[in-house]
Amino acid sequence: MLSITNISKDMGEFLLDDVSLDIAEGEYFVIIGPTGAGKTILLETIAGIYPPDAGSISIESRDVTFVPPRERNVTMVYQDYMLFPHLTVEQNIGFGLEYRKIAPEERKSRVGEVAAIFGIEHLLHRYPETLSGGEQQRAAISRAIVLEPAVLLLDEPLSALDGQTRERLRHELRKLHARYRTTIIHITHNFDEVFSLASRVAVMNKGQIVQTGTPEEVFRHPESSFVAGFVGVRNIFSGTCTTEEGLSRVSIARPDGTEAVVWSLTPHPGGEATFTVRPEDIMIGREACSTSARNSFAGTISDVVDNGMVVAVHVDCGLPFIAYVSRQGWAAVGAAVGETIHLTFMADAVHVF
Amino acid sequence: MKGDLRRNGVKVATIAIALVITAFIISLLLLVITRPDPQAVIESLLSPEIRFAIYLSLVTSVISTLLCIAVAVPAAYALARYTFFGKSFVSMVLDLPLALPPLVAGVALLLFFGTTAFGDALASIGLVFVFTPLGIIIAQFFVNLPFMLRIMRSTFTDISPRYEYVACTLGCTNLQAIRRVTLPMAGSGFLAGAVITWAKGIGEFGAALMIAGATRMKTETLPISLFLNMSCGELELALSAAIILIVISVVSLYIFELYGGSAKF
Repeated sequence: MLSITNISKDMGEFLLDDVSLDIAEGEYFVIIGPTGAGKTILLETIAGIYPPDAGSISIESRDVTFVPPRERNVTMVYQDYMLFPHLTVEQNIGFGLEYRKIAPEERKSRVGEVAAIFGIEHLLHRYPETLSGGEQQRAAISRAIVLEPAVLLLDEPLSALDGQTRERLRHELRKLHARYRTTIIHITHNFDEVFSLASRVAVMNKGQIVQTGTPEEVFRHPESSFVAGFVGVRNIFSGTCTTEEGLSRVSIARPDGTEAVVWSLTPHPGGEATFTVRPEDIMIGREACSTSARNSFAGTISDVVDNGMVVAVHVDCGLPFIAYVSRQGWAAVGAAVGETIHLTFMADAVHVF
Repeated sequence: MKGDLRRNGVKVATIAIALVITAFIISLLLLVITRPDPQAVIESLLSPEIRFAIYLSLVTSVISTLLCIAVAVPAAYALARYTFFGKSFVSMVLDLPLALPPLVAGVALLLFFGTTAFGDALASIGLVFVFTPLGIIIAQFFVNLPFMLRIMRSTFTDISPRYEYVACTLGCTNLQAIRRVTLPMAGSGFLAGAVITWAKGIGEFGAALMIAGATRMKTETLPISLFLNMSCGELELALSAAIILIVISVVSLYIFELYGGSAKF
């Protein structure tokens, strides 16, 4: 549906470096990455704001690499709305319909229809500056979706909003996608948006796409230490890997010279390897757990941080582990900083790359 | 002496300086306005010479302002939106007339239109700039272009190009996006720039004197009239020209402040 092939663009401060992506019809595709990774230029290049230095873009099997934005049927929503301040909400939403030569009466009814979906039909006569942030963003999304674009580009559409509004609008985006089945590319910093919206997610860094997959794949099985670090994998260690009994055996040298061994279900060709365990996959107990779990360590509690939702327990097992437990779970363990504790996790919770 | 938080010497001294200079400016303006006999001022304002000067000033300044707008708006847009080879040099040269003494600008214009083949060619098709009202227009245009240009550039720079990007995805060509979105958003900066350019044009003296000369009832704008009548002792006529110029300055400064809050020179 949307095919980006080896796109490069150097804008000085930002760049795209040989980016390729294939996005299917009706997909909700989310792109995450640190500030300056080139996410916005990627969207703007798809929209046709700049010609790429190299590579090609096709939409619905039509090469649009050097086609101007107005002939692409791609619309875009920015974080700070970009509603035209001298036009009413109705004129803003109907702006694109004018250029499609839609008659005024029909324009009015289509604008009304979209505004009703977002619950802003009572604001149509107002000017953007008199609207709240959430209302402005609803108007901006309406303006983009009313054209029924082949691809809808959303550049951090929820980042400027307060927590409650963000949650509500996120929900509305899901409904919108369910209703129109538009192909959507959505940039965000917010992982909640990835899990609640994305059918697939890509991670960008320094102008390149470093990993693509379902949210589950990317968050559980990062393919590089950059992705692991970026998606918030806390326990990340490097060592050497061998295969024994059909399992990957990773050996890590502790600072004191002893060897820590971790077992994983992830196949690995052997040699230098990095393994990760998500903090919420680690069980904590005063006694060593006698379960089928392959990995068990004893260590000293070095710090306990109450994050509100979960308690982050930092345990020094020669390797610095972090485990997340619920507040009730932590209270049940009844341990304090300085005490010895046992960590247990399954071989399938360990990801090796 | 012990300090006292309630006594702020710096505050008192700096405010005093600001107040003294304000009083000085106001008393100068009041002096010009109140010095002549009101009856004589009204008579002078109705005299053919002053009426001609008002007419010539209005016509030349409106035309030169329109020319400034026609050139400054696209040039300012280019400087605000695009990067191109030699941009900083172009930008500096465009600002140069601002720093140049108007008399020097006038001499340069006189040489250009009076002594070059290009000037002769223009003259042969009837466009004579030397010692004519056309010279006044070109002098005002040349000296005041940087004002319009700088105000428009800062106005365009303050408008995110993303408005145009969105307009283009919604179906506009680049030019339509500018016309439908950027120009309306630049409205108040445009008005402020046009008013200040016009007011500067009305008051333009040095460059206009050089290229257009000071001929009574021919190239006699309000500032030239002030100069001519002052030189030959016609105080009433000179001061009535000055009063009109003061009124124009005050009104246009007010309009500029009203609409040009965000525009910078």
